[in-house]
Amino acid sequence: MSHFDQVASSTAGAEEPAWRSAIRSDAFEAFSNGSMPTQDEEIWRYVDLDFSMDDYRPAGPEVVELADDPLADVLSDPVTALLSNGEYIGDDRIVDGLSVMSLRRALADKPSVVEAALTRAGVPAREDLFKAAAAAFGGGGILVHADRNVVAPSVVSIDSRSGVDGVASFPSIVLVAEEHAELSVVVHERSTPDDDVLVVPQFSILVGDGARVSLSIVQNFDYRARSIGSLRAVVGADATFRFGEIGLGGRFARLHLDVGLEGRGSSANIVGAYFGEQRQILDYRYFMRHVGTNTRSDMFLKGAVEDEARSVFTGMIRIEETGQKTEAFQTNRNLILSEGASAQSVPNLEILANDVRCGHGSTVGPLDTDQRYYLMSRGLDPKTADRLQMRGFFEEALQMLPHPELAESTRGWINGKYETAQAEGRV
Amino acid sequence: MANALEISNLTASIGDLQILKGIDLVVPFGEVHALMGPNGSGKSTLTHALMGHDAYEASGSALVGGVEVMGLPVHERARAGLFEAFQYPTEVAGVSLRDLITEMVEAASDPVAARERTVQASELLDMERFMDRAVNVGLSGGEKKRSEMFQLAVAAPKAAILDEIDSGLDIDAVREVAEMVEALREPTFGVLVITHYSRILRYMNVDRIHIMVNGRIIESGGPEIAERLESEGYASVR
Repeated sequence: MSHFDQVASSTAGAEEPAWRSAIRSDAFEAFSNGSMPTQDEEIWRYVDLDFSMDDYRPAGPEVVELADDPLADVLSDPVTALLSNGEYIGDDRIVDGLSVMSLRRALADKPSVVEAALTRAGVPAREDLFKAAAAAFGGGGILVHADRNVVAPSVVSIDSRSGVDGVASFPSIVLVAEEHAELSVVVHERSTPDDDVLVVPQFSILVGDGARVSLSIVQNFDYRARSIGSLRAVVGADATFRFGEIGLGGRFARLHLDVGLEGRGSSANIVGAYFGEQRQILDYRYFMRHVGTNTRSDMFLKGAVEDEARSVFTGMIRIEETGQKTEAFQTNRNLILSEGASAQSVPNLEILANDVRCGHGSTVGPLDTDQRYYLMSRGLDPKTADRLQMRGFFEEALQMLPHPELAESTRGWINGKYETAQAEGRV
Repeated sequence: MANALEISNLTASIGDLQILKGIDLVVPFGEVHALMGPNGSGKSTLTHALMGHDAYEASGSALVGGVEVMGLPVHERARAGLFEAFQYPTEVAGVSLRDLITEMVEAASDPVAARERTVQASELLDMERFMDRAVNVGLSGGEKKRSEMFQLAVAAPKAAILDEIDSGLDIDAVREVAEMVEALREPTFGVLVITHYSRILRYMNVDRIHIMVNGRIIESGGPEIAERLESEGYASVR
């Protein structure tokens, strides 16, 4: 871990508030004493990590070069922001109660906002080595903040770029909507072609009472990238968190999501669509905690894997004793398109309250033969029939995305991957 | 001259169970025939064996407009001019009827003509309201049959098999479906209506009725057969 020890000594001198330094030093200790997670731990089951932190070095000052973010074009008049290996690049923007700024500046300008977000919705450093590393070494990052009662006039589009072969980066994305505010954010995760990078993104989200936050992540890393992301959201009374993730890239891409419906009457809608190819592993660990009464959640993920790709979905709905009158649903459907591909789908319920409505559904299987027969009986050749069925499979999830503008691009990416697989005879 | 559909010595089985035991049946162009029989007589098996469903082991001959379709994959049978209207049309979630029709038009031998047929049939059958809905998802029994008739009109087959076209429909919907079949009747194709009730035959002019029992056609004749079945049931022909 020699690379990271050097960073520790260099960041130690940075001027930070005491609470931040305390988190950092605790995380550094956890990191120094920690080791790579193994499959013995339930939350790492099904995946075998075939690398070590030593394979990577911390990001330097270089700016990651990539073509312009195509997603900014499909959003209507977005406020755009750029993260380069986790560092905020460009000017801070503060308009009509909406702030988009570097986390460094926010620590100075809005210390109480950042402190509330990172202490309440910060990713716990002691959970694993990657979270510890992120808390210990993550420097920059971005804060998107909407003041009380502010309805952000446009979507914030964050182009989160990672790059340079051998580099590890720890982008920290903090979203805070104060009481009755509304915030809408799209994050496009990308990395430079053919570079082996490790990206450990941390999303910390506070949704104040009566507030609404919509977040979409489009995970479009290059195939050689590894990504181990965490997202923690705390949702206040009568507040709504809408989240969508499109999982496309990365040889190993994991997202550990933890949403706490803490306020009475809070709700969360979680949607996902993923497509794995080659030897990709797409790994989703989604936790939904119902703490407040009258809370509601719906989790809906659809995925397909071909070639030798694998996907993992382990979902957990936990309803605390206080979470009476909760409604919680969890659905995960998987298509296995090639013989060598596989999917694990493990929905779980843990219910401590007695007056709740819960449901979960999970399927893993190939394309439907009845549908294929029906479509072929209309004169469609088998490839066209399957392509149509594949498109239809994802459509339900795409219709539920918090940002409908992303559906068309996503459709294009997923269909493109499937058509390539068809053309190359893998499906 | 070739017929719309000419079936000779067609047998079909699932595993060791032989269901069709040698079917001979001819539907000339421009005619509407009915195939009737009790449950389990093999009517739906005939449909699927003709269409090429891979659950069935089939042999014999089936000429569609004079072209042999046995041995061809399902979509090539469709392209040769065979159409199956399903008893229970399959739901294709997330795929709009418009998307399906677009693909059908593209797969047609003459896409320009197919596009024209789409426009006409959409008007005739009042389909525009269904075009952006997912194929067969959330449709009533009658709406599904309407959608099947619409797809039939787009496909413009030489031979159409309407499998249990009246099942699950109330009396008004049965009449409607019968009227659609009549409206689509053309000298360029033949229709085989499969049913086990004679009810639908009251609303369409059937040229000939075939009775199937236990995997064989045991009687063929004019519309009067339906009347006899209505009063005496299938017991009279067994």
